Amino acid sequence: MISYGSYLLISAFLFVIGLIIMMARKNIVAILLGIEFILNSAALSFVTYSKFITKNLDGHIFALFIIVIAAAEAAVGLAIIIRFFQIKETIHIDEATELRN
Amino acid sequence: MEYTISTIAPIFIFPFMAFVVNAFFGRKLPRQGDWLSVGAIFASFLYTLRIFGDFIFNKFSTDYYVHKVFNWIDLSYGDQFFKIDLGIYIDNMTAIMLLMVTGVATLIHLFSTWYMKGDERYGKFFVYLSLFTSAMLGLVLADNLLLLFVFWEIMGFCSYSLIGFYYEKEEAGNASLKAFMTTRIGDVFLLLGILGIWSVVGNVNYVDIYAAISQGLFEGHTVMGISLASFAAFCVFMGTVGKSAQVPLQVWLPDAMMGPTPCSALIHAATMVAAGVYLSLRMYPLMELGEVTHIIAYVGAITAFLAATIALVQTDIKAVLAFSTISQLGYMVLGIGVGSYNAAFMHLITHAVFKACLFLSAGSVIHSTHTQEMPEMGGLRKKLPITFLAMLLCTLAIAGIPIFSGFVSKDRILGDALYWGLYAGQNKVHFIVPMLGFGGAFLTAFYMFRMMFLTFFGEPKDKEVYEHCHHEHFEFNRTLPLIILAALTLGVFYSGSLTGQGEIKIFPRAAQEWFKILVAAPEVKNFESYTKEKFDFADTREEKVWEKAHYHHQSGYAGVNPDNEEGIHHAHINGAVASVIIAFSGVLLAFFLYIRRLMSPDFFVNMLKPLHRLTTHRYYFDDFYIGILLKKGLLVFNNALAFLDMGIYDRIAIDGWAKVNNWIYRASKWFDDVIVDSIAVDGTGTAVNLFNLVLRVLQSGKIQFYFVVLIVVLSGYIWSLNFIS
Repeated sequence: MISYGSYLLISAFLFVIGLIIMMARKNIVAILLGIEFILNSAALSFVTYSKFITKNLDGHIFALFIIVIAAAEAAVGLAIIIRFFQIKETIHIDEATELRN
Repeated sequence: MEYTISTIAPIFIFPFMAFVVNAFFGRKLPRQGDWLSVGAIFASFLYTLRIFGDFIFNKFSTDYYVHKVFNWIDLSYGDQFFKIDLGIYIDNMTAIMLLMVTGVATLIHLFSTWYMKGDERYGKFFVYLSLFTSAMLGLVLADNLLLLFVFWEIMGFCSYSLIGFYYEKEEAGNASLKAFMTTRIGDVFLLLGILGIWSVVGNVNYVDIYAAISQGLFEGHTVMGISLASFAAFCVFMGTVGKSAQVPLQVWLPDAMMGPTPCSALIHAATMVAAGVYLSLRMYPLMELGEVTHIIAYVGAITAFLAATIALVQTDIKAVLAFSTISQLGYMVLGIGVGSYNAAFMHLITHAVFKACLFLSAGSVIHSTHTQEMPEMGGLRKKLPITFLAMLLCTLAIAGIPIFSGFVSKDRILGDALYWGLYAGQNKVHFIVPMLGFGGAFLTAFYMFRMMFLTFFGEPKDKEVYEHCHHEHFEFNRTLPLIILAALTLGVFYSGSLTGQGEIKIFPRAAQEWFKILVAAPEVKNFESYTKEKFDFADTREEKVWEKAHYHHQSGYAGVNPDNEEGIHHAHINGAVASVIIAFSGVLLAFFLYIRRLMSPDFFVNMLKPLHRLTTHRYYFDDFYIGILLKKGLLVFNNALAFLDMGIYDRIAIDGWAKVNNWIYRASKWFDDVIVDSIAVDGTGTAVNLFNLVLRVLQSGKIQFYFVVLIVVLSGYIWSLNFIS
């Protein structure tokens, strides 16, 4: 039986990877990927705690919600990136300094 | 017909609606809406006829009245009673008055359609006439002094507007202002009187006032040392003095002739000036209680005489009529003063008819000749036969020739005055009052016939005027009013007997003396049991058999002691004989002076030079008011006020305040500069600048930097939780 510490370790690992991607990469698509990492780490944490500590289905339901939200967020995020690219002809994050135009 | 407010109100509402419609849409209506005004007042007239019929033809007793109220303001709370009711009060006097007002007003409206034709403000004239008529009818119908006062003021306004109708002329504007301001003095007194009555009665209904008088509520109340009843009665009478142009406030009425002649006929002869007398008649029990009747008698007698003397020397035809109006109003007031209630009211009605007719005739003459100066006229009777006839009848009436209405009413007043002066058991000094009355009557006969002779007889003095004058032929709206009014100057319409006192009877007893029997001073003891609880919506209808009162035993002679029949009879017989002699001698004198020219009028002028100067200057009333009271008295007062204003108020209050302000300014400037500006404002700036340094770094626009900050902050937060728990 895999201990829940292992699950949490993987979750933390994924979170840190996502965080570093978000902070370090300049590519917006990559940053979006980092966010996915973070969301999945959170989902993993939920499932872990649900499975080992509260022992009910709350965490699982949350995980499902997170997956749905992640999908929606990816769609919206990608749409924003496409529009951004159409305007700026780049997806470099440092170009996204203006709120208008 | 049931008498309720809604069935009576149309009398007042018809002309008022005509006013409203004409005021806003008159220009768009055909003929500028004159037909609406005429039709409205004619409708009121028809409406009034019915009331008149009900009240006159033997239905009710003399003290029958209809009193209906509705609640206007009710601020009563607990035992605090404050309530104002408005309503209508109709008794025999109101019924007669209503018929007179609507009838005369209808004819004058009709006449105005001829007289004002082609005037550039033709429609506006009818707007004012309608408003005025509705106000007058409202005043007559009103059941309390407050409502009366409201209509009183509306009439004052209409009078003001109509006097100043030709406002292009400067005199007209001044005259309207003068009339308004002079009557205002009386109005202020009237308001004071109303408040005085209110303070005792708690209401100003006629009925409540009568009840309060009979219950003796006025006893024991004093104002500034005089009894409140006297004070209130005097103040109310001052309202009459202002409105009815009595001495010393008579100065406005002659100037009021600046207005169009029909408005002079309606407002300044028949109705508005009579409203003042009407008020005094309504408040007659209060006048008696306040014991101001002697003042009233003297004011009336002096007015009657003085105005008559001034009329002797006037050359303007309307000025003669104006002074004769003042004089005749003086007779009415004199009648009230000597307790001749019925005769005073009768004179009000007869005077309204014949003076309206005189003014309309004068209007007819003026319109034809385009001049008001009698010395430029003469010989007009061939050119204006109908006008001449109408004016002749009215002149006979006002001069007091028997069988005409003026004789009936004026002679009764003079007879009562004679009784009051001689037989009433008081100081014989008061005999001067009937003497002034008889003297005025002589002068009236003289100056009225002087006017007639100068205008219609003799040779034309100004050929141009005479040639210019068109021949008069029958015109519906010009001649009909003159004919009707002239016919109504016959005495038989007012009294069944020749003298108006039952001596020489024309009609059998059943119909005779209706006027004298129906109108009587309110018997306050009839109202004694009257209380406020009964008052609301009370119908006091009591059908009584008409009292066929005998001359010596009737209640119509309020004020005159009926015990002394002998005295009354003597006084009236002597008075009647004296009146006839005096009237004819006045006419004869005028005839000798102006037709036969036995003597030149200049003979009298030279003989009585100081008097002539006095009368031509109208006894210096105007000079006194304007020259001394306004220019000297008021100017000194003004200067004192100016000194108060400039020297004291300006110097100390304004300039001192400026200095104080200066100090405050300096203090607040220091506060502003040092505290607010340096510390607060600049300090804020510095603080913002500091924050700016920090925030500028944070607000880099680099999203990933935000992430870092976010992570750092969150980590710090989570880390700090260790220390808390």
